[in-house]
Amino acid sequence: MTQTIVKATDREITLDLPRFGTCTYRESEVLTFPWGLPGFASLRRFIALNLAGQERFVWLQSLDDPAVALPTADPWQIFEDYAPQLPPYATSSLELQRPEDFATLCVVVVSPGAVEMTMNLLAPIVVNLRTRVARQVTLETGGYSVQEPIPRKAPAAAAGA
Amino acid sequence: MIGDDVRIVVVAVDRDTVKLGIEAPRTIPVHRSEVYEEIQRTNRAAAGEPPPAKPAEGAKVVDLGKGRKPPAKH
Repeated sequence: MTQTIVKATDREITLDLPRFGTCTYRESEVLTFPWGLPGFASLRRFIALNLAGQERFVWLQSLDDPAVALPTADPWQIFEDYAPQLPPYATSSLELQRPEDFATLCVVVVSPGAVEMTMNLLAPIVVNLRTRVARQVTLETGGYSVQEPIPRKAPAAAAGA
Repeated sequence: MIGDDVRIVVVAVDRDTVKLGIEAPRTIPVHRSEVYEEIQRTNRAAAGEPPPAKPAEGAKVVDLGKGRKPPAKH
């Protein structure tokens, strides 16, 4: 007999966020950052959000402090050759075994007036898709920049994905 | 030594300059504080920017597993 385990406590929670308005999420969708984030060391629980029409941005919205949300994006949308080598402490602390186990997001800084954007390629945020545990990992090789300028006519940006 | 696992070593001495190195197990992240501080500042700057417009229909949770994976290496 096959058994299916249904988590009875995976309830839906609806929030009214200061930046994004109404948002509904399940407990199972919460991302845990046991080490916080540089600059936000005490924040532990986040959810990943899209805004309609801006699907190329993933907003990491803090559940501990509703005023905090970090814009991130898939680095390969813009930097196709990005090849982050995760240091051993990252793969072991996040229990990563295969490339399919995790997702990678890089923080984006949008300058006022949305004229220029930069991406932090030096410290990607790595999310274990199975455990929902995440960490911002500083790379030790590759010579990547914390503020890599995003070209105006990036491949995915031009398509408005 | 710092604790049982971290060792500060002298790498080179030149006149009035001493170059130090840090030996630590690969399970511990070791970074220069300038790098960490730059990442802190960038995170705070990123979080300080409001989204372009507050959407009428709110926000939806993303399925991160559907994101683009890194290109396969040959």
